[in-house]
Amino acid sequence: MSRMCKKVAPAITESYQEVFRTKSGCIYQSDVEKSLLVEFANKIARFDIRCLQRLKNAVFSINLAEMATDTSRTTDVEIISLCACEHCYVLTLREIINFRELLAGAFVMFELNSIIQERIYSIPVYA
Amino acid sequence: MKDLMRLRSLLGTEVEALLNNQIKMEAYNSSVYLAMASWCDRNGFDYSADHFYKQAEDEREHMLRFFKYVSDMGGTAVSPSVDGIPQEFESFREVFESALELEVKTTQAINNIADKCYKEKDHVTVEFLNWFHKEQREEEYVARRCLELFEVIGEEGTGRWEIDKAIPSVSYGNE
Ligand SMILES: [Fe+2]
Ligand SMILES: [Fe+2]
Repeated sequence: MSRMCKKVAPAITESYQEVFRTKSGCIYQSDVEKSLLVEFANKIARFDIRCLQRLKNAVFSINLAEMATDTSRTTDVEIISLCACEHCYVLTLREIINFRELLAGAFVMFELNSIIQERIYSIPVYA
Repeated sequence: MKDLMRLRSLLGTEVEALLNNQIKMEAYNSSVYLAMASWCDRNGFDYSADHFYKQAEDEREHMLRFFKYVSDMGGTAVSPSVDGIPQEFESFREVFESALELEVKTTQAINNIADKCYKEKDHVTVEFLNWFHKEQREEEYVARRCLELFEVIGEEGTGRWEIDKAIPSVSYGNE
């Protein structure tokens, strides 16, 4: 499981391409490293695609309505930590909404890329 | 840009979720059949108990088949938790009625996965599911035939004793 999130401090090297950017952050992909960088909430974290998928599921499973209406102080922030993944996010309601936008957008791009890859490269052209 | 998701796994997110649901369903079926075996045992229907013990094992095998497929194709196979297993049944007949309903639901669920696979053009998984389509033919046939014994033999007098004795002879031979 340790291979899912590498421990090296990540940097946005030139092999990283921008996948999706919003005002609050950006997600990059490196074909060389076969990993993704998430620039959000003042940090850069490296994920593998499955880990990122789990992060997205975690962020989308937070009950925002409950968080907004509950007045106890413990619900001002939500802690998102993934099993077998060293990254942890402590996010406010506002940040969660922004994070959702970023993650959802990135996954739409992944899907779009998948369709493009299939259409363009899967059909051999012998000309 | 490389399609990292596709390189990781042959399975699309939704197909993978459906397959994990099926793992759960097969595990549930296995537990229900075990409960049926227990009920038959404590009510004196020895042959039917054996029949359901065997069914329980078959269902676990089905579960493992789905499990290994998801795992082998690069997906995340989720070890299933099952609850809500019925432990009591109204009658000997109701046990077999429930068994048939269970198999019908299973056939529908597997058809539903195939539908999704066709839509996603996942022919690899369609081919994997073919074994199950064939298996369900047998499963439904056996469940239906067992239930029919209640009509053919009748429950009066020593009827239930005779039905129980006839259960092991029910099998699907036409492949
Ligand atoms: Fe089954
Ligand atoms: Fe079955």
